[in-house]
Amino acid sequence: METRSTIHSLTLILYQRLHPVKRRNWFFALLFLIPLIFLLPGEATALPADLQQEIIEVVIVGRVVDSQGVPILDAEVLALTDQHNEPLAEAHSQEDGTWVLEFREIPFHQLRVIIEHPHFQSQTHYLQSDELSIFSEDDIIQIDDITLERQISAGFWVATIVFVGVLLLIAFELLHSTTAALAGVSIIFLTSYIGGAINPDFFIFTYERGLSYIDWPVVFLVMGMMIIIAIVEGTGIFQWLAFQAYRLSRGRTWLLVLILMLITAVASALLDNFTTMLLMTPISLQIGLALGMNPLALIIPQVLASNVGGISTLVGTPTNILIGAFAGISFTDFLVNQTVGVVLALLVMGVFVLWFYRKEFRQQSRGISPKLYKKLEENAQIEDPEGLWKSGIVFILVLIGFILGERIHLSLAVTAIAGATILLIWLKPDVPHMIKAVDWTTLVFFMALFMIVGAIQEVGLISLAAEGMSRLIGDNLVLGVFVIVFGVGTISTVIANIPLTAAMLPIVRFLTVSIPGAQNQVLFYALSMGAAMGGNGTLIGGEANLVTAGITEQANTPITFKEFLKIGLPVTYLTLIIGFLWLIFHFQVY
Amino acid sequence: MSKMILCPTRGGKGSYPNQDRAIAIAKERGAEILFLYITNVEFLGLTAAPKLIDIEQEMDEMGEFMLAMAQERAENAEVKSSTTVRRGQFRKVLAKVIEEHQVGTVVLGSSAGGTGVVTEEYLQTLVDEIGAKTGVEFIVIDQGEIVNTYKP
Repeated sequence: METRSTIHSLTLILYQRLHPVKRRNWFFALLFLIPLIFLLPGEATALPADLQQEIIEVVIVGRVVDSQGVPILDAEVLALTDQHNEPLAEAHSQEDGTWVLEFREIPFHQLRVIIEHPHFQSQTHYLQSDELSIFSEDDIIQIDDITLERQISAGFWVATIVFVGVLLLIAFELLHSTTAALAGVSIIFLTSYIGGAINPDFFIFTYERGLSYIDWPVVFLVMGMMIIIAIVEGTGIFQWLAFQAYRLSRGRTWLLVLILMLITAVASALLDNFTTMLLMTPISLQIGLALGMNPLALIIPQVLASNVGGISTLVGTPTNILIGAFAGISFTDFLVNQTVGVVLALLVMGVFVLWFYRKEFRQQSRGISPKLYKKLEENAQIEDPEGLWKSGIVFILVLIGFILGERIHLSLAVTAIAGATILLIWLKPDVPHMIKAVDWTTLVFFMALFMIVGAIQEVGLISLAAEGMSRLIGDNLVLGVFVIVFGVGTISTVIANIPLTAAMLPIVRFLTVSIPGAQNQVLFYALSMGAAMGGNGTLIGGEANLVTAGITEQANTPITFKEFLKIGLPVTYLTLIIGFLWLIFHFQVY
Repeated sequence: MSKMILCPTRGGKGSYPNQDRAIAIAKERGAEILFLYITNVEFLGLTAAPKLIDIEQEMDEMGEFMLAMAQERAENAEVKSSTTVRRGQFRKVLAKVIEEHQVGTVVLGSSAGGTGVVTEEYLQTLVDEIGAKTGVEFIVIDQGEIVNTYKP
């Protein structure tokens, strides 16, 4: 079918280009060719009609953008004259906002080019007959960019309410995050299709458009990392490290907490902080209780360190994965531009933790009884030594792949999936168990979230927020970094930072383009710092905080909201200050 | 009546006074005490973060350690003790352990700061369901003091 269509096109081009005399010769040649075309396999097509439709005499091209200069996709462009009721030509704008109106006859009279989009005010561009006279010399007219102004539709309000509703449902734990996000997506699509059919003002976006907002490289990177993490962390390495930290500290609890913080920070940077805290909390609880101290003085600092430690690498936090994929920031870029800031923030945090829990750390440890020591040692054993060294080798190779792969534009997702596959082949783990290790609910959460954020982007909420922030910040980059670091950091103390970051990405992109000097992407790093450090502010600020509290609760050692707030909030602002100063200094934004 | 005393506990400092009281009751009666830890990972249900590891296994190990600490307290008081870690719904697990170990008395801590499982209403349900069927006695302790006793 495709072959035949190509031959049709070639035939058509030849027919159009040839001199009338030569056309006659070609006519006879075509008489032989055409039956051959119909002998090719496939369905028959009505050639003459097709031929007629493909004769394009002239074109008008242009580009449509929003008030921020961002190209608008899928705007409907119609060309009308006073003589015709039906459009002479119509087109839809592409990803880059360009559109092409093709005319089968040359329009010499005044032409109206109408551009429409459900979430923008329609715009009409007039082409007078003197402008159209160019067609007598050329086949193409290019008109200037057309800017469409946003309009607040009913769809805008629905998408906005859905986005805020999903954030609240997650924040107050009224629904599982994935269920909340899926419910949001369902409402958006139902409003678009059913509401939009009743009143076009309710239209938000099509199903296909919604799917286009899903960032598949992020989904695959998260999936690959899930398998690697499940294998590495399942070996018992972190429990073993925690026990070694206890042995190394020789009962000095202040040293113990610092070593545990270091372990969780590094583990969170290389793997993920949620799983790290799942593993570190039970063993730390045991050590703390066995030492006769308040185990929360060991555990809460680890949560704080885990939320900050992840900032230094692209795979350390889900928010960094989102930022890296959106802004094209590489694994090495994160390491180079964030690590020193993160280390400084951890140092300040360590000093504050020692001061905050000074009473607990001053108490003389009573030591662990031989029976409990033996039990602790049992629980902290490396469960799979062979798996540990094999997965260690593959994990190092994956990290090298992350760093070197960017030179050949190798996607991180490909490296992660390849690493996971090598581990599956080499270690031969129980595959159904490993497939279960991929947390599909999280992946579905990501997909649904991308579509919800796409919806608020589509209806213009993000543009409004970007314009508002732009007015607030102006051309002042220092203020821009400050607002992003502290604004996002503060909001992240109560709002889940993954949806917040996803919504902030287009805003930060706009600011990166509009603020002079921001092209070094400092604002994206500011977003990374703010989103992750803000998670330390309250108990509900991060998933790792919640899961840690869940585990300690199971040992009748609950972490209350107030207790966490007392240390979490000051640590949040201390680390945000360090992060802000580091970015200002490192990127020389002054 | 069986002399086995069952003490479901989550361990931790908040449980020490109640454990001590349960141990004291066992010593008074010359009974053996069985410490029970029930692994519960329902708290993971509301998070969107991936659960990539067998957290129940980790929680079981934590439970074993908590019970080892309780057992040490019993040993110090010269009371014979044993431990068991189970998974499942509290009420069902309790009924099963009572039956398996021929328990005569269950010593429960009251709701510690709203975080425990025992509320007045819940306890009544336990007594109605399990107490009536097995004939076990329920003793409720708060901060080491007996606050209620239910005998079928």
